[in-house]
Amino acid sequence: MGEQISRLMDGDLDDAAAEAALRELKRPESIESWVCYHVIGDALRRTIDPMPGFAARFAARLAAEPTVLAPLSRQSNRLPFAWAVAATVAAATVVGWVAVSTLDPQPTALARAREAATVRSDQGGPQLVSQDYVLAHQEYSPTTQIQGLGQYLRSVSASAPERP
Amino acid sequence: MGGGISGRGSHARFLRVAAVALALFAAASVARADSARAEDAAAWLARAAAAARQLNYTGTIVYQHGVYVETSRLIHLYDGGEEYDKLVTLEGPQREVIRSHGEVRCFYADAKLVRVEPRTLRNAFPSLSPEQQKALADFYNFRKAESARVAGFETQAWVFEPKDGLRYGHKFWTDVATGLILKALVVGENNAVREQFVFSDVAIGAKLDMAMVTPTWPQLPPGWKVRQLGKAESETGETGWTVTRVPPGFVKIVDGYRHFERAHKVAHLVYSDGLTAVSVFIEPGRTSLPPNGFSAQSGFNVYSRQIDDSVVTVLGQVPALTVRQIGNAVARRERDRSPGPPSSSSKEADSK
Repeated sequence: MGEQISRLMDGDLDDAAAEAALRELKRPESIESWVCYHVIGDALRRTIDPMPGFAARFAARLAAEPTVLAPLSRQSNRLPFAWAVAATVAAATVVGWVAVSTLDPQPTALARAREAATVRSDQGGPQLVSQDYVLAHQEYSPTTQIQGLGQYLRSVSASAPERP
Repeated sequence: MGGGISGRGSHARFLRVAAVALALFAAASVARADSARAEDAAAWLARAAAAARQLNYTGTIVYQHGVYVETSRLIHLYDGGEEYDKLVTLEGPQREVIRSHGEVRCFYADAKLVRVEPRTLRNAFPSLSPEQQKALADFYNFRKAESARVAGFETQAWVFEPKDGLRYGHKFWTDVATGLILKALVVGENNAVREQFVFSDVAIGAKLDMAMVTPTWPQLPPGWKVRQLGKAESETGETGWTVTRVPPGFVKIVDGYRHFERAHKVAHLVYSDGLTAVSVFIEPGRTSLPPNGFSAQSGFNVYSRQIDDSVVTVLGQVPALTVRQIGNAVARRERDRSPGPPSSSSKEADSK
């Protein structure tokens, strides 16, 4: 299911599969994955820019709040929220998984998400497509027809390293 | 159509389409504003293309994409119905592009490499099909914008504003006297400029001669490599690959094979909405790439994924969403799958 959720977030699912994934999201475990993946994504994209010391202060406050750590017995809607909060701490510390894992009722979910995130970040570097493709494409683009050969600058752009 | 990869395919089909379009046109007693704009946009594109092709001009182009700014010198000569071009980078590694009789050669002095793209289009100046014209009207608001000065010339600005999130916005500034585009920019999400071409200086109608458009290296220095891209081949619709759910407004204009050095036959499909194009390459026998991935390169968004033993690469001047949507919808044609397909398993595109 984790994969389906990840693909849902990426917009990879067709309508039927997306419907199914959304239904699945009603289950607490699934929403946990959902939250986790979003935190990973945000952390990787660096869209979260927390206040300095926020994580530490928050962790202290959280420690003083036993209800948050209550077992799952109440199955309440608060669980996703608690997860979102815990996850924010995770993002704030980015690699601070150790701290979070002490609060983690389901370490495996986090570990899986963490692993997924690591793979993604490794693949996040520049991945240059063959200039053969760029050149073959260029000719069929209507903008090439109206802008002339200047468009071929893309094929010789200094930002695209060329290997012999 | 011969060896052309060009997707114009069968003439008969085009005529049928044209006939249907004409009938519809005749039936509509009230000319809708949309169709009027479609003609405007298509006519505008045709004029811009004619100007780019038939004028003589030389100037300095500043090309900006992402954080990069690069300057180059362009010389364009039109003589006897043929185009001759020379584009030389002025900074960074010494590189140039030469176009003559439809053949394009890219010289990379830093890599001691020449990449040769043979002439592939039978008609170097195709006009838009009725479907593309319709897509233009349905998916862009085309309008005249402000007057402005570019490279010292009086220009008129024109805007193609996308009506959905599947394409970028385009703005062009044309020389009032000749119609030549002197500045072009692509606007992405949040109105951010993704890419910009602008002449910082240009001489239009200049007297040019052939010597000015010959390569810096007429004879290749020893040690250079030539990388010849194979001629395009195959008629429309023969690759056995298709995009099952094409984003609205995109029409297939090419379906054929390309031969790249080191590679098997690479299927090449092109989809266009009249203003921009998206290429789909399906290369068999390659598993080196990570199965799924995004990248951006020189104003293009790129998305690649693995289907069985083939790598699908989608490339276009469109949002990441669009290349992914197209990439995830690539599949073998149904009828080509059943008989006794190649060695690959029948496990289909996982996006189903």
